[in-house]
Amino acid sequence: MRIRSVSCLAICAMVLSLGFAVIGSPAEAAETVKIGAVYPLSGNLARLGEESYRGAELARIERNAQGGVWGKQVEYVVADAPDTNAARSEAERLITRSNMKLLLGTYSSSLAYVATEVAERNRVPFFEFGAISDPITERGFKYTFRTCAPASGFGTIAVRVIAELAAPKMGMAPKDIKLAIVYEDSLYGTTCAKYAKAEAEKVGMPVVADEPYSAKTNDLSPVILKLKAANPDAVIHTAYIADAILFSRQAKELNFDVKAYVGQGGGHSMLDWAKAIGDVSGFLNVDFPQFKINKAYTPGLDEFIKLYEDTYKEPPHSGHSLVNYFGAKVMFDAMEKAGSLDADKIREAALSLDVPEGQTCTGWGVKFDPKTGQNVRALPYGLMWTKDQEQVTIYPSEAAVAEIIVPMPTWRERGQ
Amino acid sequence: MSYTFIQVLISGVLLGGIYALISIGLTLIFGVIKVINFAHGEFLMLAMYFAYWMWHYWGVDPYASAIVLAALLFLIGAATQRGIIQPLLKSPASMQIFATVGLSITLQNVALFLWKADYRTIQTAYQASKITIGELAIGYPRLVAFAGATAMTIVIFWFLKNTFTGRAIRAIAQDRMAAMLMGINQKKMYMLAFGLGSACVGVAGGLLMPIYYVFPTVGTYFSLTAFVVVVLGGMGDIRGAWIGGIIIGLVEAISGFYVPALKEAVYFAIFILILLFRPSGILGLGRGFEEVAQE
Repeated sequence: MRIRSVSCLAICAMVLSLGFAVIGSPAEAAETVKIGAVYPLSGNLARLGEESYRGAELARIERNAQGGVWGKQVEYVVADAPDTNAARSEAERLITRSNMKLLLGTYSSSLAYVATEVAERNRVPFFEFGAISDPITERGFKYTFRTCAPASGFGTIAVRVIAELAAPKMGMAPKDIKLAIVYEDSLYGTTCAKYAKAEAEKVGMPVVADEPYSAKTNDLSPVILKLKAANPDAVIHTAYIADAILFSRQAKELNFDVKAYVGQGGGHSMLDWAKAIGDVSGFLNVDFPQFKINKAYTPGLDEFIKLYEDTYKEPPHSGHSLVNYFGAKVMFDAMEKAGSLDADKIREAALSLDVPEGQTCTGWGVKFDPKTGQNVRALPYGLMWTKDQEQVTIYPSEAAVAEIIVPMPTWRERGQ
Repeated sequence: MSYTFIQVLISGVLLGGIYALISIGLTLIFGVIKVINFAHGEFLMLAMYFAYWMWHYWGVDPYASAIVLAALLFLIGAATQRGIIQPLLKSPASMQIFATVGLSITLQNVALFLWKADYRTIQTAYQASKITIGELAIGYPRLVAFAGATAMTIVIFWFLKNTFTGRAIRAIAQDRMAAMLMGINQKKMYMLAFGLGSACVGVAGGLLMPIYYVFPTVGTYFSLTAFVVVVLGGMGDIRGAWIGGIIIGLVEAISGFYVPALKEAVYFAIFILILLFRPSGILGLGRGFEEVAQE
């Protein structure tokens, strides 16, 4: 009995090792570099997950056409991670079974949070291109690098837009501007609000109202009435889509006007919101780079759009593809410089990258903080909605294509 | 009383009208058939989508489509009663609950599949118009919704009190066995009651579209509150649903203004207190009536 099971094991081991040898050798023979890609390609997150993946894929196609990395073609081994359990197991599978030495992904913060954890534990570098939650890079991981702007940047930029662009137009100093911060009370809203408050304190802007609410509410009139009582000059609002629509409609109903109103991505970035309100000219927003931006500040953006349209036969759905494209290009540069997929060499190469702002397709620079792995030269942009329901870039000034309208039109001036 | 406080009260009453609008149908179905329709919110979602598509394709004003929607939802409600509830009437209450919960999940996902998760809104000339008294503002669409809820309460109450069919419905609600012995057609009355209850959300769908937006899970935003309203007003009581709606609207507005973080906690605390101390509600039909599916 015992002998038999031992021999069984031996045979199994032999078959397995043979199998590995057979699978392993042609991959080495063909001149390809394989890296793992983790994205949500099915389920709830699939819509923007797919758009994100397309960006990374375009960067790969372009890189391969230019000769690839170390003269070898790059290949993604793609894993679908619709939820956190899948993100964990797929990252695990890519590393231990498919033997990936480098991972990229993911678009969603919750997926990134677990996938990077698996990678770090296995000493595999992970490049995150699209997830914004700050804690992803606040855990002291050595091999996690984030190329895009973190959530904290949203609140910060919102305050800067008010202090640097709106305040001079109002003829006021930042310290005289009464600021109200309104936000839905989940992690998204509270995070943005936290950093907005911190930045407001930094520039000395008094916060006269701090109003959290549940995004599932049917009525925001109590919140708006409290804001009216506080009589702020500017509002920073973090909302999903439903509460963004409800807030705007009830603000119109209750005649709540301010000189400047800044959204934080989310609902205020969506065309559904603009459509529900109608005339949205002068509404401000903070988000990832959009396509209406000073092209001199974002060299390569037009080429990206063209490559996207040639490949997918439609224009980009959102900026998600762009930031993933940017991220993948940064990652390829780090790989090229490292000369191999050795984790420490990749880390060293990534940390040595030094690109100033205004020289890439997103306008973002590249400089990773050695403590966190966060790209400190990536911050979201200040945007403004136009009458045609488009978002144009207004901040920073080097990237701007339009000038801020302050005070924004009142509800009465918008008609209806 | 300051202007702001009066405005809070106005907002609360108007919000209450919206809750009443949705709760009336739920309480009617419950009162007669003793079935809790967990798909009630999804019927509202369907009505809102229909209102949206009628506006989108043919430019029909949502207030005008409310009448068509009432008829349409009546048919859907009657069909649900005949096809899903009727065969389960003799089964334990839990079975009926599973059936309506299942229906609710099915409808949500069918809507997600057919119409995507986009938020759709209607633009009308009057949606932001309002009546202004001094500094107070009363939104016109909300006022219409409130008036609609009140009118619906009166009409249905009158119908149940004064018409032959209404009396038959009440009779069967009071004593299923005795009413059947008197020659009332139980199946027909149940279909009628379920249809009528669903027609109420048909009207609600039309009246709510100028205020809100529709997406596949919009029903869940309202149905939970509607359950609280129905319990508060007394299960099965139409007037109770109206009063309950207003009370919850006021509670939400006032607590939202003074203790925003506890807004939901406050009205669910009220919900629990009612269940503990007056399970038959403000205008409840007496003890024992809150029992589901008693034979």
